[in-house]
Amino acid sequence: MDLRLTSLRLVPKLRTPPTNVRALVGQPGTNGNNMKITGVNTTVYESNLNHKMGDANSPAGRIRSGGLVVEVSTDEGVTGVALHGLSARNQIHSLCDQVLVGHDPRRVRGLWQRMVDKVFKGGHDGLVGDAISALDIALWDLKAKAADEPLWKTLGGARPRVNAYASGLDMPLSDEELFDFYSMMAGHGFKGGKLKVGLDQDADIRRVGIMRDALKKATDDPVLLIDANEYWSPKQAIRKVREMEEQFDLTWVEEPARRWDFLGLRRISDSVRAAVCAGENLDTLGDFLPYFHHHSADVIQVGAGMTGITGALQIADASYGFELPVTLGGSAGNFHAHLAPAIPNFMIQEVGSVTTDPIFTSDVRVDDGWLVPGDKPGLGIEINQEELRKHAVEKLSPVSGPSPFGRRPGAGLYEVPPTPEEVATARSL
Amino acid sequence: MKITGYRIRKYEFTMDRPIGDANGPTGEDRSFSSFLFIDTDEGITGISPSGSDYVANLFHLLEGEDPRGVVGLWKKMQDYVFKGGNEGERNAAISAIDVALWDLKAKINDEPLWQTLGAREGRCKAYASGIDLCLSDDDIHKFYSRMADVGIDGGKLKVGLDMKADLRRLDIMNECLQRVTNRPRLCIDSNEYWSPKQAIRYISQIEERYDLTWAEEPARRWDYDGLRKVSRGIKAAVATGENINDLSDFYPLIANEAVDVVEFGQGATGITGARQVGHFAYAYELPVAMMNCQGNFMAHLAAALPNHMMMEVVDPGREPCFTFDNHIEDGFIHLGEKPGLGIEIDEAKLAELERDRPSARFNAPFARREGAGLYIVPPQPGEVPWN
Repeated sequence: MDLRLTSLRLVPKLRTPPTNVRALVGQPGTNGNNMKITGVNTTVYESNLNHKMGDANSPAGRIRSGGLVVEVSTDEGVTGVALHGLSARNQIHSLCDQVLVGHDPRRVRGLWQRMVDKVFKGGHDGLVGDAISALDIALWDLKAKAADEPLWKTLGGARPRVNAYASGLDMPLSDEELFDFYSMMAGHGFKGGKLKVGLDQDADIRRVGIMRDALKKATDDPVLLIDANEYWSPKQAIRKVREMEEQFDLTWVEEPARRWDFLGLRRISDSVRAAVCAGENLDTLGDFLPYFHHHSADVIQVGAGMTGITGALQIADASYGFELPVTLGGSAGNFHAHLAPAIPNFMIQEVGSVTTDPIFTSDVRVDDGWLVPGDKPGLGIEINQEELRKHAVEKLSPVSGPSPFGRRPGAGLYEVPPTPEEVATARSL
Repeated sequence: MKITGYRIRKYEFTMDRPIGDANGPTGEDRSFSSFLFIDTDEGITGISPSGSDYVANLFHLLEGEDPRGVVGLWKKMQDYVFKGGNEGERNAAISAIDVALWDLKAKINDEPLWQTLGAREGRCKAYASGIDLCLSDDDIHKFYSRMADVGIDGGKLKVGLDMKADLRRLDIMNECLQRVTNRPRLCIDSNEYWSPKQAIRYISQIEERYDLTWAEEPARRWDYDGLRKVSRGIKAAVATGENINDLSDFYPLIANEAVDVVEFGQGATGITGARQVGHFAYAYELPVAMMNCQGNFMAHLAAALPNHMMMEVVDPGREPCFTFDNHIEDGFIHLGEKPGLGIEIDEAKLAELERDRPSARFNAPFARREGAGLYIVPPQPGEVPWN
């Protein structure tokens, strides 16, 4: 069964304004040197993660995962790929049909603006933001492929060597599994690690020590990061982090309070030694304004899910203006490594896995703890169509569906440690 | 009582007149809408006048639950969408479900929703809003005259693209409403078309002639620094909030004194979410203004808020297949005694208008206009009937 959903429209559906305002509305280019977007295919697939993953909101973890392959096609046979937008499949098709078809994909920033303006009233956040992100990533892939160069070069990067840290999404891992994961990553040269924390202070302190000991294989002085995924209130965070800081030198504490609580985050930053790292659940540049103005975050999290590569680079540049370092989050095939060389204030990128995915190959390799994007054109992501067909599903099973990380009871109020059932589930995965 | 199922029915229709603003001066008279029905094992059905396909992804959280626990179910849905956030269609779905659950709760009590929400009386003050940038001067006169006929003494004009026309049209609105009061409450709305300093120049010029009650969305929805700057640079209040999703979005606006009149509707995550925003604003001594909606059903909540100022009434003919239990008199929306929201579906009419997806005749309106925030692109010949 072919589970790809195809949109193919040769004539863009645009409003038909009076002729004399056509110039204002904008039409597809008409000069002869054009590559044209013809449509988009999307395929939902389901596969196993490399190891079970979870955080303070889902300590039992999960092993199955869903994904979406987005392929934007052109009249010249070149295809732009994005692995993004699982929940926003319908929005991807309708935006591509209404805004992109007929246009030259190389004008990606202008098309980004058209998409954002098109959805003005409802806003470019939520699922619509996911759709813009997916399409923008695919357009950048196309632009670089059209120039026959890797995306990091198209973006103006000079040195394809990207600082990185290991991130286990490791709340469901036992102490032994935790040690094994970070030992394995240290074996690949990673000198920093990020532990999921928040539900059990004694366990968290013990496990930061385990992570540190494992990473010592790669360096005498590992970079230690912790991540509470918005589970704490500001004063809970201050108590927990200060106690940990009696034993450990933490580089950052991530999402120690709610994403929008710019006053609470600042308060934490004022009260702990570590940097407050935040932003990964924000959607747009506008969402970051309160952080910038109020010094709420010391390290800004940026990703291509923030209205695409175009949006991510805008946020990075704004951070640069405020003298704030930027970190890039985990990404399919670590493709964020193409952005890093073009970000002047780039600090470090999250790496969840160094093993290959059955659905696609990536041209970003790990070299002694660094990420190195290669020379293949575009993002360098190649879809294994046969494997994709094998893993394609019409509907995701509940265990791998979107929005797995609901918020845990007690969040922001009191800690609810993992229950025996959750621990048993985590062990069974 | 238990929730057993849900239905979404979509329909398309032509309104009595077009509506348009600075981003869509040509206007649009087609509308595409939907109902969400939530069914129970006792045969009572909750209705929301706007649905969302995303309800399918949330319904498992509701099935088998008692609909009367609406605030708890709201929290359950919030926590479920935690990672992706309460935004966009996720927010639209939670909003729709919450409205239908409140309708159910009041129907189970056999009382109108304003009573369930604890209002002392079922009424709230109204203001007229033409969404009228696409209307001719004559049609503006007709609209605000009709509103003055039912005692409405405040009006809101869509502005932003042409100062001369805006002043002339404010005159028309003012004159119509002066039949009700010597000093009508005059509001303007530029729908995020200006930058902050453009707004200050433009509004200050209008204020040389008019005492404006508020200027609405004079800058981007998230630009709290810019909105505060506008508020400090003009006499009128800055009203904003209708395009944001929930209390967390209002937090920077309110905490930074960027908003003087807090606006919201069911899009602030349903009646539960909107009420939270209302109470938060109350703590900051800020008045709130309810956004327009089909059948004015959000007046039920407005009636129960301690700091509600006035609710927007557009009345473009958006209720082709349902009746509602409220009317406007002496400048107030008066809510009736029918249980719940007081909405009753005209099944025959709905069946006639029902369709799965918008027709080619429907252009989703309200994209952002060129020049927004940078320079003003006035209406081109043929774009509006008044230049």
